[in-house]
Amino acid sequence: MTRPLEVDSHDTATNQTAAARTDEGRLDEVFSFRELARLDEALTMSSRETGLHFTLYVGELRTPTRTHAEELHARSGAHPTDSVLIAVSPGQRVVEVVTGAGAARRLPDRACALAVLSMTSSFSSGDLVGGIVNGLRQLSDQAGHPAGLRTH
Amino acid sequence: MGAGTGKLSGVNVAETILVFAAIPLAIVVVLALLTLKPGADRRPRYKPGQAWDHAPVWYEPHPAHAGGHGPVAAHGPAAVPGSGTAALGSSMYPEQPGERALDSGTGAGPAVGDGHVHGGATAARAIQPAGPLGGARGTW
Repeated sequence: MTRPLEVDSHDTATNQTAAARTDEGRLDEVFSFRELARLDEALTMSSRETGLHFTLYVGELRTPTRTHAEELHARSGAHPTDSVLIAVSPGQRVVEVVTGAGAARRLPDRACALAVLSMTSSFSSGDLVGGIVNGLRQLSDQAGHPAGLRTH
Repeated sequence: MGAGTGKLSGVNVAETILVFAAIPLAIVVVLALLTLKPGADRRPRYKPGQAWDHAPVWYEPHPAHAGGHGPVAAHGPAAVPGSGTAALGSSMYPEQPGERALDSGTGAGPAVGDGHVHGGATAARAIQPAGPLGGARGTW
């Protein structure tokens, strides 16, 4: 079994800095490493194939959830216009997909709603990772492959 | 059975307990261990409606030009296309309240690399308007 490295914390964190890496929770606290690998592959491949920047947020969203998701989207990359944020809040049972202006031209709201529908049907049966991976696959299939994008 | 002795030998209490209590108990314990052991380190499965008390996590894809050859020290804000940064993506970065501050450019190098997930390397960025936003919402 893969385990995170056990290292002594030579703690240099101060009030101004973030917590040291070793002080953060276990890497596989939320998802197992196998699930993380699936998420990683889905995010990376859909981003490379489409040229859009897909990010995934899993956690509590402030209400109204849409506003918080849009704030997150604004910080989600160097070019928020071309990025797509999938924000899943399992506690509130809400998933929000936010597309920037450039991404929305290739991912119309209808396509997002379809992907969200397939995600929620997986989520309601308890399969978080499977739903996210399938939703990413649908979104990237819909967005397609832009001409002139070199993926390799 | 002896050669026609016709005499039954009695069992004492200790043998009775051993046969009728200890052996079934041992079997039950072995089966219980076999049943419970594989799931001992498994995380509880998410069920709809249960509370979610984990810290927020934000994952991002590997940047296209990083190659993905293990942890590399990051310079400057990660994942800026064309800037030659080598920060590895797939970042798990639990949201730190202090990192909501503006563009600090602290690329914390990955400290833990296990082959699947590399440590986060992206700092918060300045908020940029992204034009009219689209998307969808779902509940379950």
